[in-house]
Amino acid sequence: MTARTNTRSNSKVSLSASQRWFAWLTLHRDCAVDALRRLWQQPASSAMTLAVIAIALLLPALLYVTGKNLSQFDSSLAQANLVTAYLQADTNADTVSELQQRLANHERVSDTRYISPEQAAADFAEWSGLGDVVDTLAENPLPASVVVQLADTRFETAEQLQALLSDEPAVAFVQMDQAWLQRLDSFLNLTRRAVLALIAVLSLAVLFITGNSIRTSIASREAEIRVMNLIGATRAFMARPFLYTGLWYGLLGGALAWLMLALLMLILRGPASQLLAYYGAQYQLLGMGVTASAVLLGGSAALGWLGARLSVSRHFSKF
Amino acid sequence: MIRFDDVSKRYPGGHEALKQVSFELEKGEMAFLTGRSGAGKSTLLKLIMLTEELNQGQILVSGRNINRLPARQVPYYRRRIGVVFQDHQLLFDRSVFDNVMLPLQIEGYDRYEAARRVRAALDKVGLLDKEKLNPITLSGGEQQRVGIARAVVNRPQILLADEPTGNLDPELAAEIMVLFEQFNQVGVCMLIASHDLSLITRLKHRMLTLEQGRLIKDEHQPSRRGTAP
Repeated sequence: MTARTNTRSNSKVSLSASQRWFAWLTLHRDCAVDALRRLWQQPASSAMTLAVIAIALLLPALLYVTGKNLSQFDSSLAQANLVTAYLQADTNADTVSELQQRLANHERVSDTRYISPEQAAADFAEWSGLGDVVDTLAENPLPASVVVQLADTRFETAEQLQALLSDEPAVAFVQMDQAWLQRLDSFLNLTRRAVLALIAVLSLAVLFITGNSIRTSIASREAEIRVMNLIGATRAFMARPFLYTGLWYGLLGGALAWLMLALLMLILRGPASQLLAYYGAQYQLLGMGVTASAVLLGGSAALGWLGARLSVSRHFSKF
Repeated sequence: MIRFDDVSKRYPGGHEALKQVSFELEKGEMAFLTGRSGAGKSTLLKLIMLTEELNQGQILVSGRNINRLPARQVPYYRRRIGVVFQDHQLLFDRSVFDNVMLPLQIEGYDRYEAARRVRAALDKVGLLDKEKLNPITLSGGEQQRVGIARAVVNRPQILLADEPTGNLDPELAAEIMVLFEQFNQVGVCMLIASHDLSLITRLKHRMLTLEQGRLIKDEHQPSRRGTAP
């Protein structure tokens, strides 16, 4: 018993809790720096691994940016998301304002606008360039209409409003462009799914790449691990350098992917803004943004760490 | 300090390395473990270090049954035992100083305290002036002394050595043994496996002799008793 207390007082020396904590922090810092130094010492193989990780991460990042730029159009299309109700010829003004009032109270309607037959004729004349023809007509053939602006781009909302308006006695005919709504909706869904699936598959790839690189570095430091195991290193202590190596692989790979994407955006900026100018001044080429960049770097660092962890738990079993 | 009760070890494949071995080493005692190669000396040391598991019996170290030690306690147990290997097991990717530092690093020592202890250990083995060198540039005897410094740097209560002089010429081997005796004099319990009978019979310590896995002789200070006036 005395022997044990002796040993314990031996190993704990006279260090206070804060000194131990400081020593622990120093150990981690040294470990991280050492892992980075080792990557630097084998530039060729490190660069290869980092490039593969970066390319694997670049693909979903690229798709994400594409989706983000497309959704600019989505939100502006929502502005043009209209249902038009053509009214019966004999509808009076009271009925119209009462209908508009009820529509305005509907939760999925953001705005309504009345277009009188005269306005419709003027619009048609301007839009079609057939003003003279319209003027020769004895009577205005165009009906009055109420244009309903929907609050979202969901297909169900448009359908719901169509059903509602068809039941109105004052409404003669309801028109909406269902097909493009449906198509846009499913296209955006598809992009989102594709991004998620790509992230899943390529995350797995990053895991395997780091795992494999860590396996080689474990093999090259086998003597060291063997000795440390014999003189009483815990598994956590022996694993730590490799976990930091994995963390660096992930973080640096993520940073490289980010740089590659930034470079790509720089190259595309000129032609893209030319193209976007045709669609209106409000459009511009969007980059990753701060949040997505943070997710990319944090996620890739976590993946690198996890890959190293899996590799360590697999290859440490022989020690 | 170390007690074997009826310990047997059979390797997978059927080879019986140790058969019902029992002995006890007191605190601060120094003993040699001898016998031909294959007699079971290394196996016995490996059982104490918990790098091999026994099949029968029990081993008590400081009164504690080490075979019941949970796996996560094993590293902490090993830190209390210094080990010197025949092939010294030094790492050639770092300096002499860093090699000796390793056990202290593992224990999470403050680096100034650690450096002080490393220098003290290197001083004791007479290699203080070589701390910055890579161990690969040292002679066999010096390498072994670095290995000894590493084994004693965190002041273990027990020191095990497996053929520590196996690769050394007689003169250097004798020097290493003198070093071991010095550690023993400050109270470290030592068990040294060696087949170099001519060397160890000259030193007056207890001698455990293994033959085909059996402990056939346990002579307490044989020479001293024989030459007593």
